[in-house]
Amino acid sequence: MANKANKKADEVSRRDFIKTSAAVSVAAMLSGTSNLRAGGSDKIRVGVIGFGGRGSGAAIDCIKSADGVEITALGELFEDRLEMGIKRFKEKMAEEKLSPETMKFTDDTCFVGFDAYEKVIACDVDMVILAAPPHFRPAHLKAAVEAGKHVFMEKPVGVDPVGVRSVIASSQLAEQKGISVVAGTQRHHQAHYLELMKRVHSGQIGEIVAAQCYWNSGNMAPWGVRERQPSWTDMEWQCKNWFFFVWLCGDHIVEQHLHNIDAVNWAIGSHPIQAMGVGGREVRTGPEYGNIFDHFAIEYEYANGARVLSMCQQIEGCHRQVSERVVGTKGSLYTDGALGYIEGQNAYKYDGPNPNPYVQEHTDLIASIRTNKPLNEGRRVAESTMTAILGRTSAYTGRAIKWDWVMNASKLDLSPPKYEFGDLPVRPVAVPGKTKLV
Amino acid sequence: MQKKQNKKAGEVSRRDFIKTSAAVSAAAMLSGTGKIFAAGSDKMRVGVIGCGGRGSGAAVNCITSSEGVEIVAIGELFEDRLEKGINRIKERMEEDKLPADKFKVTEETCFVGFDAYQKVVALDDVDMVIIATPPHFRPMQLEAAIEAGKHVFMEKPVAVDPGGIRSIIATSEIAAQKGLSVVAGTQRQHQEHYLEILRRIHKGDIGEIVAAQCYWNMEGLWLEAAKNNLINKEKLGWSDMEYQIRNWLFMVWLSGDHIVEQHVHNIDVVNWAIGSHPIKAMGVGGREVRTGPEFGNVFDHFAIEFEYPNGARVLSMCRQTEGCIRQVSERVIGTKGSTYTDGSVGYIEGQNAFKFEGESPNPYVQEHTDLIASIRGGNALNEGRRVAESTMTAIMGRMSAYTGRALSWDWVMNASKLDLSPPKYEFGDLPMRPVAVPGKTKLV
Repeated sequence: MANKANKKADEVSRRDFIKTSAAVSVAAMLSGTSNLRAGGSDKIRVGVIGFGGRGSGAAIDCIKSADGVEITALGELFEDRLEMGIKRFKEKMAEEKLSPETMKFTDDTCFVGFDAYEKVIACDVDMVILAAPPHFRPAHLKAAVEAGKHVFMEKPVGVDPVGVRSVIASSQLAEQKGISVVAGTQRHHQAHYLELMKRVHSGQIGEIVAAQCYWNSGNMAPWGVRERQPSWTDMEWQCKNWFFFVWLCGDHIVEQHLHNIDAVNWAIGSHPIQAMGVGGREVRTGPEYGNIFDHFAIEYEYANGARVLSMCQQIEGCHRQVSERVVGTKGSLYTDGALGYIEGQNAYKYDGPNPNPYVQEHTDLIASIRTNKPLNEGRRVAESTMTAILGRTSAYTGRAIKWDWVMNASKLDLSPPKYEFGDLPVRPVAVPGKTKLV
Repeated sequence: MQKKQNKKAGEVSRRDFIKTSAAVSAAAMLSGTGKIFAAGSDKMRVGVIGCGGRGSGAAVNCITSSEGVEIVAIGELFEDRLEKGINRIKERMEEDKLPADKFKVTEETCFVGFDAYQKVVALDDVDMVIIATPPHFRPMQLEAAIEAGKHVFMEKPVAVDPGGIRSIIATSEIAAQKGLSVVAGTQRQHQEHYLEILRRIHKGDIGEIVAAQCYWNMEGLWLEAAKNNLINKEKLGWSDMEYQIRNWLFMVWLSGDHIVEQHVHNIDVVNWAIGSHPIKAMGVGGREVRTGPEFGNVFDHFAIEFEYPNGARVLSMCRQTEGCIRQVSERVIGTKGSTYTDGSVGYIEGQNAFKFEGESPNPYVQEHTDLIASIRGGNALNEGRRVAESTMTAIMGRMSAYTGRALSWDWVMNASKLDLSPPKYEFGDLPMRPVAVPGKTKLV
């Protein structure tokens, strides 16, 4: 099923073509004619890298988001996951009555293995969806941007400071190249968040002095453990259970709670300057759960003096609370996935339309590509990811840690020695007060 | 060494006498004569219940605090601890150059055993008791002291479960009716920089309070003692009960866990600043590093969010883990500024910036000075309800972390049936309750 499609040199890339045609089209519109649009030239050809639940879901969202989207190439680490992803994808397409015409990948454009992403990027695609486990994001983004592809990338965008720095560098390169980079922090494309943040930024709650954000799940994990098969190497076992391994997912404060931390950074308009936190692995203790914690509570301090509580927990039978609260001198803001309001001097409740943000993020991305007004969310989501990594590092080590240190001095790199299916001992679970700060 | 002294019926109790003499003294002063004070009648005779590190320390603080204080009786659970406690008091008095005759304890006024406290409060010659046993025993010992008409200095926390808290509140109300003073070992309430900063908060210098943070994050505590206790249990054949009480800090039924036992100080300051207990708690916690059997069944870290009636949310964070960062302080945030306080400094930032630079006498002494002045002045100080509510705040946080549930104050205060008491108070078997498991531990 894997086949390498080589990009023909001197071929005009689709991205360049679309950019050109979009520019020409605007000119044409101004002059009263739109005849310049060649048949199919407004197509966006999308390659998907990482075709698990989120990758196949994002592909559907992307198809729904705009006219002319075609999924033309797929890359996955595992063949069985690829087949499962394709099956899931086709079922969902049928369910949602989406045109099978948009499904343009063939056996020749489906790839498996650690280098599948390189092969997808080498295909004739305009844009890639990066939905492999978070560890791989920096490398995948770098390859995509270097090849001139627009990017939709899932959050988080790294698992360690080295990875985050790479994402920032790639995002800067994307900016220079005029490439769009949109991240799967869908709150940034959700109408009630946008309206409320606009009000926060216009001073409706006064100066921000505190905030709280939570991802207390009340359950063990968003999805279950995949039982280890005798034939699996360490690497295969870990990658198929990526959610439970710090090097792959970054731990749940990074993988999941990032959404809420990102909303707080957005409200305050900055990343924090320091973190001090606690955390542990209290209930989810079996080896099948890899080496992540099951709860964290971090206090972040921001440059303006505001202190923020970030709390997250994934424990069966515990309370559920997934939301953000921002406290200012004139009022406070409450937001969660479904609603948002302001209490205080400028009380307000959002009652307007609220389109599906998982689709909207693609709508916005594709519109930015087509109008040649690149959206670049790379640095912002990298900083939010780093905020979560900062909190995790504080809880793991029991230390208070500064942003500047983690951003500039930390050498933490969780990468395995090599990307191949073989032995890979599990790093020990962190022990606050003993785990070294790297 | 034990001797019960029966109260003679019809005898005017020393407390009544002191109150009367104080009242008369004021009248006498107005009329220009102070002669009504009989020789020795201004003595404050103190019984100490629980003579470990804190009990003996509090006894010395009490002697230091005011003229005429005498330690006249001691109750302890263990004989060896009693002897050690007495020696510690004497050494400390010598160090501090306190007159040796202020320590008036005799063999007849020393008691050991689970009922030692009853024997101390039964003494006629005791005006006031210092209650410094492990927190579990506070409610029953306060009740006995107030029933016997004694003024009380009691250490924090004042209970380990909601049943105990309700008892403390009820007893404190009786104390108020009887005009007895009840002062608690939350010494920040008697510390000059706290008093000044809190006064400024209450007059609106930081505006309306919208958030706060408080922490007791520290390194390990009593690690060696915990190890030795476990060794001694085997070596000396201690019963479960004896072992657990000697290792009380690590047993939830005895200490309430460190969020209650220690972090209550900081939580108390936040309640004080806001002027209320919270209405809700939601927290996490765990036993991540301090996992050996010598550490009983307590957690080593907690992080709780408390929600207050005015909408303010407060982060409470505490940890006892070797090698981790130390941070013991409070920060209160208002619409016009914020306060920072810790054991030695306090300041306000914002529209009404202020830094306390005055004298701040030793608060562990000052709390006794204030207590004894209140007794002598006939203006009873009663901190019982306040410290009970702060203790309950910490208990609510602990219960939230233990169960993984968000809890309301009203439920914990009125409906919770949690009672951590052992079936009986005697040296014998006592299985340890299992360590809490969030999401599984039942809400009681």
